[in-house]
Amino acid sequence: MADMSLLAQALDQGDREKTVELTRKSLDGGANPQDIISKGLQAGMAAVGEKFSSGEYFLPDMLMAARAMKAALEVLSPALEKTGIPTIGKVVIGTVEGDMHDIGKNVVATFLSGNGFEVFDLGNNVSVEKFIDGVKEREPEILGMSALLTTTMPVMGRVIKALGELGLRSSVKVVVGGAPVTQDYASYIGADGYAHDGGRAVPVCRELIGK
Amino acid sequence: MAMTKKQQILAAARGEKLEKLPFGARIDVWYNYHSAHDTLPDRYKGWSQTDILRDQGAGAQKRFFSLTREEYRDMEVVEKHDPPYITTEYHTPVGTVAKKEVFDTSEGPWIKYEMEKLFKSEKDYPVLKYVMEHTEAADDFEEYYKLREEIGEDGMVMTASGGLWSPVQRVMREIIGYELFFYELVDHPARVEEMIEMVKDLERRKLKVAIKSDLELFNICANWSDDIQTPVFRKYFVPWFREVGDILHSHGRLVMAHTDGEMRRLNHMFRETGIDVAEAITPAPQTLVSMKEFREQLGSEVTLWGGIPSILFEPMYSDEDFDNYVKSMFREMAPGYRFIVGMGDNLPFDGDINRVRRVVELIDKYGRLPIEAQE
Repeated sequence: MADMSLLAQALDQGDREKTVELTRKSLDGGANPQDIISKGLQAGMAAVGEKFSSGEYFLPDMLMAARAMKAALEVLSPALEKTGIPTIGKVVIGTVEGDMHDIGKNVVATFLSGNGFEVFDLGNNVSVEKFIDGVKEREPEILGMSALLTTTMPVMGRVIKALGELGLRSSVKVVVGGAPVTQDYASYIGADGYAHDGGRAVPVCRELIGK
Repeated sequence: MAMTKKQQILAAARGEKLEKLPFGARIDVWYNYHSAHDTLPDRYKGWSQTDILRDQGAGAQKRFFSLTREEYRDMEVVEKHDPPYITTEYHTPVGTVAKKEVFDTSEGPWIKYEMEKLFKSEKDYPVLKYVMEHTEAADDFEEYYKLREEIGEDGMVMTASGGLWSPVQRVMREIIGYELFFYELVDHPARVEEMIEMVKDLERRKLKVAIKSDLELFNICANWSDDIQTPVFRKYFVPWFREVGDILHSHGRLVMAHTDGEMRRLNHMFRETGIDVAEAITPAPQTLVSMKEFREQLGSEVTLWGGIPSILFEPMYSDEDFDNYVKSMFREMAPGYRFIVGMGDNLPFDGDINRVRRVVELIDKYGRLPIEAQE
């Protein structure tokens, strides 16, 4: 039986080649692809997220882990054709209108995806209408919004207000983040959650949907 | 004779003891937004930023990109303008690279973003090397001297020898792009390091030109945050800061970095850089670091400039909240030397301009030096 802790460790270290090699070995050895993901890859990603939030890891460590995860999922892809990649919830995410900054949002999207969420990334400079359309079309459990600028962060409040006006607010949990955003500001605009960094985004989203 | 605001800021930057806290405020986000939307308060319609800050009683910070401009030889550089986008193509004998940027200030901040980076794939390395080697630096002092005259002794022109970024940051953020930079550093480290050296050489040429200006305080790096990975920072950033710092110090100039992001991972290494001033310091609640921690971690040889996070100017905080924050922050910074009060990093567009005056009044009441230590 393949040792999933070794796989998690390879991913934790951002070692793409080893992650791919161990994924392939596990698959060839008869391991269930769903187990490889949940007990190996996602466990590794969760460790990376925690280490980032605690200050032990840096953003590039997260990027390397995410790249290794993506390569491993490509190996698993044929085996997952019938069942698909297991997901724990859907997330629509984007950087708000007027804001071109996407490093933080990309890291969060990658990490959510690596931790079992199905992520629909709307990109940057996303209008209120586009967020609303994303929620209507994808029916996510979570809507994630990011802003790097004090000039653009009020857009997050406008999206929340629009969700309320359209009767969609209770159907989705809203999580916000970005450099100028604080917990107080998140509460002030009526968001359900606030993630200071990419590592925090995963536990916050999990907690909000009870998984 | 009383010191001017500029003299106070420079004295604090040099570590001299003052009678009260100096204050250098930055309001261009607020000003650009309200100018573009014709929503400046009636009293300030038609005023310049500097005059508004004079009226509020604060020292001014006026941003300006660079003291130099790039000139190209043995290649054709074509710029196409389609506002707010600018596409620039570099046609060289070894190939072509192109970038597409957006530049806009109408919503407040400087939105300068490369929608399309110069670097697309490994084949671009030789072309970029050619571009860097065939780019020269020329002085662009006219605009700087105009701004310096406008501000006079009421504040500082904040600029640099070659733009916002230090060389590694330029490669990371502007030329390759953040995520791809780290992938390339793992996949093709020698190529990336060669490019960093090319950009450093160009920056050295720019510095030689810029040093002929009379700028007292050089900004040598900007927008520090979690994204500048610490091992990369120590290996690639620190040696550059030391080199540039030594050159500027030998010419009697001071060195500054715009450190407005989440600094929890970088603070402990700041002292290795030899940088004199950490500007736009943004403490909690906007980041995870308090001013007391900033002071402890950066040490007593570095001047801190900042301390009031932008978010405190937002309407969600009452005047009382604001005053309490500022008073408490002053106490955290006791005795208050090597400290310039400022924003981290700007007055937001929906902030109250009159809070700038509140800071001036709070300094008069509670910012006399030395400040008594917090109990």
